[in-house]
This record gives sequence, C-alpha cells and structure tokens, in this order.
Amino acid sequence: MALLEIKNADISYGSNLIVKDFSLTMEEGSICSIVGESGSGKTTVIRAVLGLLAGGGAVTKGDILFDGHSLLSKTAEEWRKLRGTEISMIFQDSGAMMNPTRKIGSSYVEYIRTHEKDISKQDAWNKAVRMLERMRLPSGDNIMRSYPFQLSGGMRQRVGIAMGMTYEPRLLLADEPTSALDVTTQAQIIRQFMDLKDEYGTSIIIVTHNLGVAAYMSDDLIVMKDGVIEDHGNRDYILHQSDNPYTKMLLEAVPSLGGVRYV
Amino acid sequence: MFNEDEMILEARHVTRRFPASGGRSLLACNDVNLKMYKGKTLGLVGESGCGKSTFMRFLVSLDKPTEGEILYHGRDITRLKGEELRQNRQNIQMVFQDPSGSFNPKMRVRDIICEPLMNYNRIKASEKDKVAREFLRMVDLPEEFADRYPHNMSGGQRQRVAIARAIALEPEIIVMDEATCALDVSVQKTIIELIVGLQKKKNITIGFIAHDLGLIQSFAHQIAVMYLGNIVEVLPGDEIDKNARHPYTQALLGAIFDLNMDFTKKIESIESEAPSPLDVPPGCPFQDRCDCKSDRCCKDHPKLIELEPGHQVACHKYDRP
Repeated sequence: MALLEIKNADISYGSNLIVKDFSLTMEEGSICSIVGESGSGKTTVIRAVLGLLAGGGAVTKGDILFDGHSLLSKTAEEWRKLRGTEISMIFQDSGAMMNPTRKIGSSYVEYIRTHEKDISKQDAWNKAVRMLERMRLPSGDNIMRSYPFQLSGGMRQRVGIAMGMTYEPRLLLADEPTSALDVTTQAQIIRQFMDLKDEYGTSIIIVTHNLGVAAYMSDDLIVMKDGVIEDHGNRDYILHQSDNPYTKMLLEAVPSLGGVRYV
Repeated sequence: MFNEDEMILEARHVTRRFPASGGRSLLACNDVNLKMYKGKTLGLVGESGCGKSTFMRFLVSLDKPTEGEILYHGRDITRLKGEELRQNRQNIQMVFQDPSGSFNPKMRVRDIICEPLMNYNRIKASEKDKVAREFLRMVDLPEEFADRYPHNMSGGQRQRVAIARAIALEPEIIVMDEATCALDVSVQKTIIELIVGLQKKKNITIGFIAHDLGLIQSFAHQIAVMYLGNIVEVLPGDEIDKNARHPYTQALLGAIFDLNMDFTKKIESIESEAPSPLDVPPGCPFQDRCDCKSDRCCKDHPKLIELEPGHQVACHKYDRP
C-alpha cells in the first residue's frame, strides 16, 4: 500500500479554485519534489496534506489517503495525534515559526510535552538536546538557551529539522527549506535530508523552485503550472525525455556552470 | 585581458570597521582592492555577511569606508561632500534586491522612473509621460504601465521598473545587489538577458552581487570571491568552472546543484559555518574550514598574488617564495 495517495484533488480558497485535479502516489522511503513558479499552487498542495490550509481553504473534490485512511474526515483530536508524529513539516524559515520572545529550549520542551503528556521537563530537555546533536548541531545545550534570532539561518533550519524529526515521522513535508540559505548551507541541509531518508526511511515531499536541488534529491518530480500538474515523471524522464514545452523552458532557465554565456 | 585605459573605478585598500559592543569592532571589509572597467561586469560572490553589500554601498556613497579610497576617474568619491556628492550620484546608480521595498508605494510607475530625472532638472514635468513610456519600452514593459502602482505588478515587472529607474540618468556604473534572487528562475533568465542587452547598447559598467556562481558566470567578465571581508580570488568570468584555485571558490563550486551534475555523487559541502566577523582569526580567514591548512595559515595573512594576467588568488598554497 502506498504511504500517501492524493486522488484527483481540487483545492479552493472560498470560491477560487486554486489546485485542479492533483494526483500523487508515494511509496514509503521515497522523495518526491514539486517544482513550479511562484503562485503555481505547490505550497497549497502540501498544506492540504497536513490539513493546514490557510484562510478557509478546503479540498473540494477527490481524497487524500495516508496509509490507506482518508485524511479529510479527521477530527481535530485525530489531527493532533497525527501531526508531528506521523507527518511533520519544515518551513522556508524555521525562525519565523518559533516564538521570537521565547528561547529555543522553551519552545522545544513545550513541543515535546504536547506530544508526550507524562514526560518530565528535564527528560524533554535532554531528549531535545540529543535530537539537536543528532542533526549535527554542536553544543545542543547552548542552542536550547538561545533565542531564534541569535542563530544563523542554517542553524535555525537545522533546529526546524530536529523538531520535525523528533518523533521520526514517516512523512516529512518541506516547503522551500533552502531558498533563504547560502549555497554552502543549502548543500549541507540537502545532504541532511538525504541522510534522513537513509537512516530513518522517512519519505519526503519537497517543494522548491530550484530544479537542480529537486533533480538531485528526488525519485519523482512533479512540475506544476497554474494549479495543474504540467508534467510528472522520474528524474531521467523530466531532465532528458520530456517534450513538455513548459518543463523544457524551466530547465533552460536554470543557470549552469559552463552553460550559456551572454557575454 | 582588460585594457587598463578603460578602468573607470578603482578601490584601493578599502577597509570598513563597524563599532560593536564591548569596545570591539566588526571588520566588514578588510583591505579590498578591486577594479572596474568600462562596459564590463564585475561579479562579487560570497556567503551572507561576508561584506559584499557593504563594499558595493561605498560605490553609491551610501556609506563611507573607514580607511582606503575609491577612485572614480581618478577622483576619490569617498571624500565628496554637498553639491559635488549630489552631482556625482548621477554617475553611479543602484538596483536593490527587493524592488517593492525601494519604491514609494504611493507613487505611480511614471513618477518612480522620472524622479531621478526631475531631481537633476533634466526634464520638465510636462515631459514625464513621454519619457516614462520611452524607458518602459526599453525594459520591455507595456507603455500603459506608466499609470500603475508598484503593488499592481509582479516581482519581475517591478525589477524591470527598478532597472528603468537606474538607467534613467544614463549612469556609467550600475550596482545590482542580488537583483534577481527574489525571482523565479524563468523570470531571472529574462532579467539577466535584459541587463546584458542594455549593457551592450549603452556600454554600462555593472557591479553585480550574487551568491550563485552558476548565475554569475553566465554574464560576468570578472568575478571576485569574497570571504569574511577579504577578497580571496579574482578571476575572469569564463574561467570559474575550470580554473578556480582558492579552496573556498572550489567549495562554492562543489555546493552548486547543477542539472548536468552526476546525481549519484554525494554533494560536497564545507560542514562548518563562517566564523563571526567580530573575532576574525589571525592568519588566513578561511583556515578553520580549509582542508589543506598548514602552520603558516594560522600565522600569516595571505596576500593576493597574481597567477596569470587577470587571475589573483590569496592562498599560501600558491605563494611559493
């Protein structure tokens, strides 16, 4: 059985139909990326998977199945159990997700104690530090005592990944996780995502506009345009075989070393 | 490869220290020496916080270096004052990363494009509409956009208006601070094509800040790599993929996700982060992240040495006495 299955989903905000007829099947332990220009609906799709559609958004047609069960009929209580433990999400800037007036430790301990009712504060703290260190953040204790703004962009993103991976979810949704980072930090974070898949068998859906990153990471690529799947296939197909004009246009636009020179 | 007669701007020993708490100082630019040539593009590459924007801000006189001088046609522009400074601003203009932040949201595109011209009394108010339409055509936007407000346009269109405003005064140099990094790749490509086209037509010198080496090599004539306030390598734009020597430049190249790369290979990246510019280690700034560090790197600060014409590198590996 597929881990995640989106069946012909339509997603609307109010009366505006944003995503039309979106289908996707994902096996356990695979990485899928959704690429497209801004406004093409890629973020809307992954927000729908986590039931986090903003501002009255809803799936109006089709179904989303996780592990064979529909996600659309879940109650608030069931969602709380699912989020963070089975499915979790990493945002473009993890710093913006955390309360700026609280230290990382305070947010992280609260996060753990929401999921595990009977864990003591000290145990939760230790668990968080262990997790940070596993995500290659040296001196986890120090980080727990820092405010989000005291960390660099790459470190904040690692904290976000550590939080998301605390309960070793089976599905990780990443919304432009590296677009705000430098190329060197981006390479570090992408490598970490690949390690997550190898170590924990986590499936990952990554939304990105960087086709290079998408091609490097994923088994499957989905190209979206104006809320519709424009092209879909494995890496080899998208990069070399597809004759979809939009895919080709996107590929040509990626600056490449030793590629086109205008001068 | 560059004709020294065509050099129009030279930065000499430019250093900038910002005062920090506890009597310390933050070294944003350390002894930067760069040259810009007529009609050529200088690409400045580095991680965030390495001082590349700080340096480019000196060119447009938004800030002054603590030490050093910047010679524009032989005249030091860091010491200009008053009317002289105001007149000099016509020669060097800037395009910012986020155009919406640099426009007045209450001004129409017509007024945005013509404001610099009005400031220097180059046109009369009655000519504004005609001139604005002319510049909109030049950046491939419909003429009707003259009546729009910035919020009624997409990011790429706004960036085109920002470029129109920058070329309105016919400056000799335009500084672009990550002008395309907020845009989609497809839009980015068209903006680069526009910039290159305008450069050829008007013989403009461009200083372009970027952190994507793949992008910068597609249109820069010379590339300077900056690390922690220091220029570590300067080389011709077409040689970056074959001839980069400094370990940091090579690390930047290794971190690029390219569509033609070998996908089975593990991506290479330097693991650590750049040290804080508040306490730069003595010796080579890159020592802590370098694979080929020697004892000398901890003691001596490497100087830029010329390997071949147009290619300089600051690394002890290539500095054999």
